[in-house]
Amino acid sequence: MITIDGAEGEGGGQVVRNALALSLATGQPFRITNIRGGREKPGLMRQHLTAVEAACAIADATCDGAAVGASEITFHPGTVRAGDYHFAVGTAGSTSLVLQTVLMPLVMAGAPSRLVLEGGTHNMQAPPFDFIDRCFLPVLNRLGPRVTARLIRHGFYPRGGGRVEIEIAPAPLSPVDCLDRGAPLSVSATALIAGLPFDIVTREIETARRFLDWPEEAFATHELPADRGPGNVLLLEAAFERGTEIVTGFGKIGTSAQSLAKTAAQRMAGFIGSAAFAGPYLADQLLLPFALAGGGAFTTVKPSRHSLTAADVIARFTGQRWTFAAQDDGTHLARRI
Amino acid sequence: MKPLTVIGFLGSTLDASKFGPSRWNKWRPTVGLAMHDDLRVDRLILLHGKAHDRLAAYVTEDVRAVSPETSVDLRRLDFKDPWDFEEVYGTLLDFARGQAFDPEAEDYLIHITTGTHVMQICLFLLTEARDLPGRLLQTQPSRGEIRPAGSYSIIDLDLSRYDSIATRFAAASAESASFLKSGIETRNGAFNRMIDEIERVALRSRAPVLLMGPTGAGKSQLARRIHELKRLKHQVAGSFIEVNCATLKGDNAMSALFGHRKGAFTGAVSDRPGLLRAADRGMLFLDEIGELGLDEQAMILRAIEDKRFLPVGSDREAASDFQLIAGTNRDLGEAVSAGAFREDLYARLNLWTFRLPGLAARREDIEPNLDYELDRFAEREGDRVSFNKEARQRYLAFATAPDASWPGNFRDLAASITRMATLAPRGRIDTETVDVEIARLRRLWSGQARADEAGAGDLLSEFLTADALAAIDRFDRVQLADVIRVCRASRTLSDAGRTLFNASRTRRSTANDADRLRKYLARFGLEWRAVAG
Repeated sequence: MITIDGAEGEGGGQVVRNALALSLATGQPFRITNIRGGREKPGLMRQHLTAVEAACAIADATCDGAAVGASEITFHPGTVRAGDYHFAVGTAGSTSLVLQTVLMPLVMAGAPSRLVLEGGTHNMQAPPFDFIDRCFLPVLNRLGPRVTARLIRHGFYPRGGGRVEIEIAPAPLSPVDCLDRGAPLSVSATALIAGLPFDIVTREIETARRFLDWPEEAFATHELPADRGPGNVLLLEAAFERGTEIVTGFGKIGTSAQSLAKTAAQRMAGFIGSAAFAGPYLADQLLLPFALAGGGAFTTVKPSRHSLTAADVIARFTGQRWTFAAQDDGTHLARRI
Repeated sequence: MKPLTVIGFLGSTLDASKFGPSRWNKWRPTVGLAMHDDLRVDRLILLHGKAHDRLAAYVTEDVRAVSPETSVDLRRLDFKDPWDFEEVYGTLLDFARGQAFDPEAEDYLIHITTGTHVMQICLFLLTEARDLPGRLLQTQPSRGEIRPAGSYSIIDLDLSRYDSIATRFAAASAESASFLKSGIETRNGAFNRMIDEIERVALRSRAPVLLMGPTGAGKSQLARRIHELKRLKHQVAGSFIEVNCATLKGDNAMSALFGHRKGAFTGAVSDRPGLLRAADRGMLFLDEIGELGLDEQAMILRAIEDKRFLPVGSDREAASDFQLIAGTNRDLGEAVSAGAFREDLYARLNLWTFRLPGLAARREDIEPNLDYELDRFAEREGDRVSFNKEARQRYLAFATAPDASWPGNFRDLAASITRMATLAPRGRIDTETVDVEIARLRRLWSGQARADEAGAGDLLSEFLTADALAAIDRFDRVQLADVIRVCRASRTLSDAGRTLFNASRTRRSTANDADRLRKYLARFGLEWRAVAG
């Protein structure tokens, strides 16, 4: 049986989620030990457990040892069944992370599925809905399937309570090359706020404008009903002919509006200045579908620890080796060797 | 993985917040406990009063938002006074007993951060006593940062390092043990030991209990408290039925106890269920059981042993499952030898026999009972009366003096205090009121003493001629009458000697009680055989 040391590499929840998705997609059982071994609170946390339960639900799979705080689980996948599923994630958990676990197995199932996900939609340490919808899914759809996402309700930390609906029309996956993002099409900066003083978004927009040489009409504020809050994010979006990047700044207590806007804007400026197709977060997400398609390639910025760890887990389940080779133009080429 | 259930109170202050998004910047213990990454609550039993229905609904909604894994189970628990130890403890114990806890299949955490201090202490006590089969969950706000989740810790009282806490709280649990004493802080060691034993017996046994003691020693009140204690602990569900057997005479006795069928005798115009059936699943207190006729005794014995009996005029047996408490001021053993009480019934009753001392034997308890009676008066009349300091000292000095005989025991004391409280000018018992009361009691008791002396004369006239009796001093009459009473109740001369010289015999090197008694009787020309009759 495939045995994974959960503390190796990036050593977080992503190892668990990728292993679950790969196990369901390839039909191989696995055991993971030392789950989140290097973290302050090691073991499975609630949101990871929800991901495990979701993986069990879509495939009649069994998981031994699944409990909050567990350092080791053994997972036996069953047959993935397309269908209507509803998963709800607790306080710190993001709907995107549950989606990351079940999406690829359902994409490879024989029939359409519909997912309703409840929880956070714009949480720290997870891709926000906008990123899934406009950065990740368009690339995935180029591999063959047709996956659409709808945001019904925003959900911010700590309250959660957001709702996302996903429609999945599966298709066989074919390898695609995403090397050149093409010419810039449009840019936008949106500051979302709910239940907090409005001057926060004003300051975020002002700061972002100082660091990004974008036209005035690109900047907008969007106030959500107060009862959705408290919550605040700054979404910076750059669309190119063949791909889109979104950089997010998450408002939180103790971080000033100016500083989060400055960090986000500098990261966006850095991406625009490079020639890469995928930013660091998109690169993480793309490895799994590309590997399941069996090939293809994309360019990205310097690979993150998340990406390198994902490549290791993929190798354990598929035998494929994915590498990031530095290119002359400063980008890195991710491809199977 | 066992599902986790958390039980706790809604915090009417801590869990409350503004109804707006700013509430998420505040630590709310009940919502916070559902927000931890590493604590998954599958079920939250949230106890709250009617006054906080709206807050409970609001908190429930927020718990569901942050923790879709949690099902919230709202339970209404109203307290007249959430600071009243006895009420809170009793209500929570009822709640705990009413839950189908299954520690094999579920884990339980008892959240003790919210609720009044009394509620928190009671939750602790119930957890410590395993009535709530879980560990304690304590939550607190995070220091120095705004985190709505706060932090938590789990305390397993089974771990030995918490023994010191358990010991400290034993003092608090003693408070609930004082239940049988109606909360009166009695100081008499022997009495307190007896009450502790009665409590243990009451909670562990359904066997009959016999309470012996003089009139007014509190048998009836103690029986009623035993019933309430057992009801609180879910050991009896039925009522407390009390009857004084001295009031049951003739046909009426049978029918009152066992009921009758319509037409069983003249005047039986309708069915009567009888006291035994009224006590079904409850408790029957037969006071002065020594006054019960022999036929009734036989029926009672059968009813205790088989839980069945035959109502008057009925050909079908009736059933009743009751616990019997019997009270008596007579020595039933003596009555058995005299053939006035069935030996088999006595044997059944004599398993748990407790002798309630009279007030004169518990002088140190007069003061706490005095306060208790004043409280009762205040409750009854809605009028709080108190002693002034001097008056209180004067009354206590009289009441606890060796010559205060208190023949009517606690009933006398209660009546005495009620009189003073009623007569007290402007709610204050002064020395004048006390003096009047002391004079009244002296008068009452001397009347009693004269009656005793007259009783002694009656008894002595059975053994002595009128001339012989006239030659005996009043001083000696009372003593001789008591000696004769003891002799009649004793099997042998030696037994009687041991009873009569119970104190001095322990100080003597050779025990010659029989000889001392024989010589004493001889002084009046009497012999053992004659007086033992």
